[in-house]
Amino acid sequence: MIASDRRARLVAAISEAGLDVLLIYGNAWQCDYLRYATDFGILEGQALALVDKNRHIAVYVDSPLEADRIGLDCPDIEVIYAPNLTVEVEAKLGQLRNHRIGVAPRRLLPRRIAARVEEIKFSDETSLFDSLLMDKMDSEIAAIRRAAKFADQGYQVFMGAACVGRVDYELIAEVENYFRACGIEDNFQIIGVGGTDVKGMAPPSGRILRRGDLVTTELTPSVDGYYTQICRTLVVGDPTSEQRAAHALFREAMEAGIAAARDGVAAADIARAENDVFRKHGLGEYTTSKYTRVRGHGMGLFADSKPHLLETVTTRIAAGMTLIVHPNTYHPAVGYLVLGDGILITDDGCEVLTQTPRELFSIPA
Amino acid sequence: MHWDARELPLELFETRIVRLRKELALAGLNGLIIYTNNVRPSAVHYLTGFTPYWSEGLLLLPIRDRPVFATALSNRVADWIRSNDPVSEVISTPRPGTLLGERLAGDVSANQIGILEIDAMPCELFDDLSAAAPDILWVDASTQFATARSGIDTAEQRMLARADALAVAAFDQVDIEQSLDAGALAALIEKHVRLAGAEEIYLAVAPDLTADHRLNRVSKPAKLTERFAMRASIAYKGSWIRRTRTFAKDSSVARANAWFEGLVQAIKPNKPFAEQIATQLTMLPGARINSWAVEACTGSYPLSVVASSSASRGFEPLAVGGGVITIILLLNEGPWIGSAPFIVDGHSFTTGRM
Repeated sequence: MIASDRRARLVAAISEAGLDVLLIYGNAWQCDYLRYATDFGILEGQALALVDKNRHIAVYVDSPLEADRIGLDCPDIEVIYAPNLTVEVEAKLGQLRNHRIGVAPRRLLPRRIAARVEEIKFSDETSLFDSLLMDKMDSEIAAIRRAAKFADQGYQVFMGAACVGRVDYELIAEVENYFRACGIEDNFQIIGVGGTDVKGMAPPSGRILRRGDLVTTELTPSVDGYYTQICRTLVVGDPTSEQRAAHALFREAMEAGIAAARDGVAAADIARAENDVFRKHGLGEYTTSKYTRVRGHGMGLFADSKPHLLETVTTRIAAGMTLIVHPNTYHPAVGYLVLGDGILITDDGCEVLTQTPRELFSIPA
Repeated sequence: MHWDARELPLELFETRIVRLRKELALAGLNGLIIYTNNVRPSAVHYLTGFTPYWSEGLLLLPIRDRPVFATALSNRVADWIRSNDPVSEVISTPRPGTLLGERLAGDVSANQIGILEIDAMPCELFDDLSAAAPDILWVDASTQFATARSGIDTAEQRMLARADALAVAAFDQVDIEQSLDAGALAALIEKHVRLAGAEEIYLAVAPDLTADHRLNRVSKPAKLTERFAMRASIAYKGSWIRRTRTFAKDSSVARANAWFEGLVQAIKPNKPFAEQIATQLTMLPGARINSWAVEACTGSYPLSVVASSSASRGFEPLAVGGGVITIILLLNEGPWIGSAPFIVDGHSFTTGRM
């Protein structure tokens, strides 16, 4: 249902844009454009898909394992195992020389194919596609709601696994074990363990949990390909007054961002609401790119979807968008700290999708 | 995922870089650019020890100076990258192509630079590179890289052996009498290998091997039948292996496993693989080959097909130092799938048990 909804919408957009064919690139990192068009969640190698205005879809993949998987997941799609992916797609595009061809996402298009732009004359349709990805249909929102429930459950598993002496990757193992048993196909998760020496989250590095550590995580399960994220922080042992104060500031910032999130504002407005709280407390420096990346972002078929919540991003926020608001950054007194909730933009504000309490959690030391 | 000098000593990277620089010099190249992301991590990892968990980056290996790793990963993780890449100067930038292009444009001795897998490089990065260094001639250097990378050194052998041991131990836990659901089985395997330190694992299952031998990841409940197969693709410190094991209640699986282990150990490096399989198959009465493939790491992908039953390359001697063999057999009792890593140790192949 969700896949056929998307395909109908994409084909209508292709026709409205006056295109004959849309060429789409995907890999396991930038997976959203491909997933939207084909419903295939690629894991290995790279893929290029051709979607025509008559709803025919052909996917070229350079991994035979992935060719098998597409055949199982998407039986109505033509699959071409193409060990020389760029050569074979280039040849196909040569046959479409008189067609109006769009591409998305343009920036990731393999150089060999992009180099033919003068001859084949394709147009950059990344913005058109981004609009489809950001403006969610009801069936997409339903998947994101289900993923939000798993994000909450995953955090409970994470907290249950955390104890003094455990290694950071063991916590990830417990969460992934839970998700696989639930049929969750993917989870993007990074972690931070320590104090003021920790500047950000990353994959687990073998760090052992010790008394006084902040344990941060960003946990992002997907349901039917749709990712929902939650960010929380816990302390090993009783939180110090500095840790409590820092967390209160982050909570104030996140709640300011959520309060600003509504139909019609710009992405920058949400980021500014979060950052103003830091500036009010004399910590404006920690909202810059030296210490943080974004103040939240879209959620959908990509774990880090557009729009990015930054004071420089003017994208209009609209009802039907799903975002995470997270003022994650470094705090000079306690180290890197995270707090974030997934939200759905509604006609009169927003609905918070993740339900885990916004506490600074603690576990026995 | 963290660099440990006891596992991957700094001298190891220096040795690899010297070998690659020799190939670049022979080709008249003044340096090499390598793209990386978490789908194409292997070439940069081979030279630096680093794998990006997200985003992308470019490594510039000049013919003489220190490598430069320019990445779109944000500044907040730059220290973490440095702790995992003991080789490079690490720079966080939203435009890695522009930064490295400007570096090269300022180097009067750089006029011809190789790019690994130039055709597949994301066009925006290539456009940035070439716009910032318009006088440089960019050429594909995939052959030079593959030549320098063709052997598997002892450090990499240890990482592959560790990854393989995780897979074998996880599969050994499976009790076919108790295995009813693919998700529960995937959860068991994933937990086991992650608790043992694997940094990534992709699991795929063929829940009813008799009906369909294609394997897929588990995304919904799937009942396991009396004959099923599971594939585990596992990374340990950037080294990837695959293991596929068939599970069934009849004795055919044990026979096929033993045959496969013998096959892998008997393979000679300088003979066509197709011929060797055909010879070995006479030792497994009643079995027919459905298909086979050999994968190896020759560039940015962890594993890609270098020989198979459906390509002419299967009939040429293998030109890799090791990799993964996958075979699908048709037995009287039903299909059987097996995958195992192998290493050419100079004169013979070695492998773990099925």
